[in-house]
Amino acid sequence: MIIDESTDRIRNLTEREFEAEYGASRYTCNVLANRSRFVAGHMSTNIVTRAFSPIISLNMDYVCAVVGPPELDYPLVGMNQGNFIFLGSLATGVRKTVEEFGVDRLAPGDLLVSNDPYRVGNHVNDACFIRPVFHGGRIVSFTVIRAHMLDIGGIIPGGFSLFKKNVYENGLVVPPMRIFEKGEPVKEVLRLFLDNGRFAATLLPDFFTINSSCALGDEQIQESVERYGLDAWLGAMRYSLDSSAEAMRRALQTLPDGEYEGEDVLDTDGADSEEIYRFHVTVIKKGKRVEVDLSGSSRQARTSLNATPLDAQTSAALGLKVLLDPQTPFTSGTYRNIDLVIPPGTISSAMPDASTHFYWEVQAALVNALINALAEPLGSRAIGGLYGSTNLHTGSGMTPDGRPWFSAAELEAQFGGWGATDAGDADGHTGTFTLNQRLTPTEEIERRVPVLLTAREYIPDTGGPGKYRGGSGFRKDSLFLADGDHWLMPLHFRFPSGFGVNGGKAGRVGGSWFFENQDPDKPECEYRLVGATDTDGVVVSGVVDENGALDENGEFAFFARVPYWTENKGSTLRWITNGGGGWGDPFEREIEAVIRDVRDGYVTILGALRDYGVVVVGDPDEDPEGLTIDEAATAAARA
Amino acid sequence: MAYDRPTELLVNQERVPAKGKCPECSEEQLFSYPVLSEGGWFKVVKCRHCLASLKRESDPVGQITIFSATI
Ligand SMILES: [Zn+2]
Repeated sequence: MIIDESTDRIRNLTEREFEAEYGASRYTCNVLANRSRFVAGHMSTNIVTRAFSPIISLNMDYVCAVVGPPELDYPLVGMNQGNFIFLGSLATGVRKTVEEFGVDRLAPGDLLVSNDPYRVGNHVNDACFIRPVFHGGRIVSFTVIRAHMLDIGGIIPGGFSLFKKNVYENGLVVPPMRIFEKGEPVKEVLRLFLDNGRFAATLLPDFFTINSSCALGDEQIQESVERYGLDAWLGAMRYSLDSSAEAMRRALQTLPDGEYEGEDVLDTDGADSEEIYRFHVTVIKKGKRVEVDLSGSSRQARTSLNATPLDAQTSAALGLKVLLDPQTPFTSGTYRNIDLVIPPGTISSAMPDASTHFYWEVQAALVNALINALAEPLGSRAIGGLYGSTNLHTGSGMTPDGRPWFSAAELEAQFGGWGATDAGDADGHTGTFTLNQRLTPTEEIERRVPVLLTAREYIPDTGGPGKYRGGSGFRKDSLFLADGDHWLMPLHFRFPSGFGVNGGKAGRVGGSWFFENQDPDKPECEYRLVGATDTDGVVVSGVVDENGALDENGEFAFFARVPYWTENKGSTLRWITNGGGGWGDPFEREIEAVIRDVRDGYVTILGALRDYGVVVVGDPDEDPEGLTIDEAATAAARA
Repeated sequence: MAYDRPTELLVNQERVPAKGKCPECSEEQLFSYPVLSEGGWFKVVKCRHCLASLKRESDPVGQITIFSATI
């Protein structure tokens, strides 16, 4: 038997054929396909405006989705512009949860929850909430929210520790349970969360908000089914899935047949600096079929630097989507022509009892390896490599007046440089492709944490040179106003991440340092502001010379050589992020673009000559608009 | 259930040779292995040459058997 993979396009169906296939007119199906995304968008507005947890309200670490009923095998049909790290878990994770709980036990107004990474992917803080939508006594959809819980117990407040050795150190694992029953809270299940997590008073209202958001989606779906009929609602779902599958299938066909290999590497898992973690991706393209094979990747980590296969599926599909089909909506139909091959026990397919807390770092490396694999066959459509790691930070301590302080996922360098494309230069301060969320505003961080963010600025000559320049690396300095312990978890400062494409060059690799306050008895107003070019800090991570300055021929400093970094008040944490890769020959970059980069501080006069063969004359600091080009010298340099 | 960490540094997916002939391209290099795709895990028999699936069997369990889910 051959699995039918028809190449007929939906647009070629006659109206009559379309209605016979999807149970409603083409127009109605489009309205209802959009309606699914609209419903998810409304759920999102409800949760983001009412959540108490800053990681939901400020960072937007959640996704809202509409998932099809069991008879359609629980497909993801609509979602908001939410956090894409959750994509792979939405269909398969929902099915797993509902079927283990028992679909026959569900009633209108119920809300299921599960957070077990081995059932629903991600990590235990990312709880999956599922509400069945009933119409005429049968389930016609599910409204789903995947949202990060501020705390779920475990060895560290907030949970952001690389150094968890197993799933038990993560905190509470919740198998499929009913947290709301017929609209009413199941108090013992709420208590299970609240008694195990820190910040329970913040978490409690969020459970009600999540429930009301799923209920809002339920109500809107019921209205749609009422108005257009169940056949149309279900037909539109199949239409959405088939449209996504067709869009990806056609996009994949633009790749030449062949086998393409790519790799990305993470520095260490934090247990020691000996074992380096490889992400090997082979894309096999034959006609309309594609396999993405992760064979040859490193075994699972000893720490929480692991992911589940559902997270890897997110990366494979999203990476291909970014490269080949960025315009159409994502549904689980996107996966239809992509077979992901993942041997068990890799860093992307960890087995119990491994912790998967840092799964998003694995996802980012996988996407980088995938775009690396396809750089050659894509030719002009290739994308340069990204900045690598989100460089996580968790800190806690006591303020001078004796109050405890705590910060997680705020004072790292979470964003960085993207790779350039044929469309132009890349941005230098954006999240990874899979991490679609916002940073906490500086004012909010400084309100809650005894810290001043004293610098966040681009560093010249760090973006990968190219006809189009990769995103620049940047410097982020945080001056602490209280003593504290700091867990630092940068994962991509040992090897370049921002590879160049089509003759473009790699972005520069960054690092991390602590500048200790030598005189902590001074008043706050006299604390040292560390200068941009100061290099007397202690290196936390990076490839550095004996003085701790970045040097690609130097030695790798391992960030976890101490369990955590104890720093006094007045000390400064510095990050320098990796630049993204360049696109195309830098000597073909327009001269006007080079002079503009020198004016704007992305490239130095020295870098303009060395990397771009352009001789810029003048003083970018004192007279930025007065810069000129030495045309004869430039022609000679570029010859 | 707990599983051991692999002893080899780099891990490869085992592909078990399967008997038969690809109905699309007539090649005889067929292999059986698991894949993750739309609808979750499948046990497939595929043609190495053209990637046609001769068999796709849904596998709701996948790689991991969760002990508590078996009660
Ligand atoms: Zn074949």
